[in-house]
Amino acid sequence: MTHDIDASLPEYTQFNLDQLAQGCQVSREWIIERVQSGLLWHDETSSADPASWSFDSRSFVRIRRIVTIERDFECNAELASLVADMIEEIETLRAKLHVADSHAHRKNSEP
Amino acid sequence: MEFKDYYQTLGVARDATADEIKKAFRRLARKYHPDVSKEADAESKMKEVNEAYTVLSDPEKRAAYDQLGQRGFQGGSEFTPPPGWDANFEFSGRGYNGAQSADFSDFFAELFGRQMGGERHSHQRMRGEDHHAKIMLDLEDSYHGTTRSLTLRMPKLDNRGQVVFAEHTLNVRIPKGVHAGQVIRLAGQGGPGHTAEAAGDLYLEVQFKPHARYRIDNKDIYITLPVAPWEAALGATVQVPIPDGAVDVRIPENSHGGRKLRLKGRGIPSATPGDLYLVLEIVLPPATTSKAREFYQSMAQELAFNPRQHFGG
Repeated sequence: MTHDIDASLPEYTQFNLDQLAQGCQVSREWIIERVQSGLLWHDETSSADPASWSFDSRSFVRIRRIVTIERDFECNAELASLVADMIEEIETLRAKLHVADSHAHRKNSEP
Repeated sequence: MEFKDYYQTLGVARDATADEIKKAFRRLARKYHPDVSKEADAESKMKEVNEAYTVLSDPEKRAAYDQLGQRGFQGGSEFTPPPGWDANFEFSGRGYNGAQSADFSDFFAELFGRQMGGERHSHQRMRGEDHHAKIMLDLEDSYHGTTRSLTLRMPKLDNRGQVVFAEHTLNVRIPKGVHAGQVIRLAGQGGPGHTAEAAGDLYLEVQFKPHARYRIDNKDIYITLPVAPWEAALGATVQVPIPDGAVDVRIPENSHGGRKLRLKGRGIPSATPGDLYLVLEIVLPPATTSKAREFYQSMAQELAFNPRQHFGG
C-alpha cells in the first residue's frame, strides 16, 4: 500500500503546551514542572502563563530523550536533563569535528 | 517465526532475580544508547534489549514466556505458539505502550499482541497511537524541498483479534525550509484509532546527513572559505558555491584567518531564514619553486613582520 502525503512545516515548527505534551506522551504537569526547574525552555517572548508558552522542535526531541533516560535508568529529572545537555553538546561538537576533519583531509591530500 | 531468547539478549541466567535483570538492562541501555553508542547497530540492538526487558521485567509476561522455554523452545528455533499457551495468564500491560511496541519483533506481537488488542477493547473509543520516526535529509533538500519514501510498520488487528504488523509506504513531500532537529507532524498517519476515533499522528524528526563542506547549526550554515594571503590582505571579490547556487562575496581588506563573513538570510529558508557564515581560512601558496621562494624571501625582508609580537620577550 503506497500513498502520497504533503508535509507542512511552518505551523508545526512551534508547539504549544498541549501539542508538546500530546506528541511526547507526557502530561502538561510533567512539562510545566521541568520548565519551572529550568530543565526545559520555552520561547523567551512568551509570558509566565503556561497556556501562552511556545516551544520549538528542539524541545520536542529533548523531551523524548529525557523521558527515555528517566524511564530506563529510573533517575531523577535533573540527572536526565544533564545527560540530555551532554548529548546535545556532543552533537554540536561532532558536527564541528566532522567539518574540521574533512577539511584537514582535503588539505593533506593536496599535492 | 524465530523463537527469541530474551535471557540471552540481556545476558542473564534463566533464574536471574528481578534486580539482576534490571541491572543487566541498565548496563545495556548505557552501552547501546542510540545517541552516544559507538556500536554500529546500536539502535536495533536497543530495540531488542527493550523488548527483552519489557517481557522479563513484567512478572506475568515472564512467567508466560518461561513456560514456553520449558516446552523446549530455544533461541533461533522455529516457533509457532502452542494453542492455549497463555491460558491462565492475565497480562496487565505494565511497562510498555503500544507506540513502543511498534518497534518490537513479530515474535513479541505473536505472544503478547492479543493483549494489545484486549487493551483496546477495555479502553473503548481510544485515539490511535502516535508513532515516531527519524528522517535523514541532505542539506540541499532544505533549500529545494524533496520527496522521501518511508516504509512503516503498523500494528493492526487481524480477524483472530491478534495484532499483526502490516507494512505500508508513504511518500512524504517535504517543502523547502525544513531544518535539523525539526519535527514534522503528519496528522492521522500514526496508529489506527478504535472504532470512530481518530488515528494517531506520525512525528518525523529531521536529521541531516553530515556534509563535508557545510556545518549546520539550527538554521544557520557555516562554510570554511579558503582564501589566498593577498585576497585577505588586499580585499577581493570571490565566487562561493552555496547550497542554493553561487554568490559573489566581497572579502574586506586586512581580513585575518578565522574572520566570519555573514550572509544574512542565506541560511536555511523560512519565515525568518537562517544566516550563512563564511569562515575565512588563509591558505599559503607552497614554496616549492625558486620563484615562490624568492617571493617569500623578499616579503620576509621588506615587511618586518613578527607574528609572535604578542608573545613579548
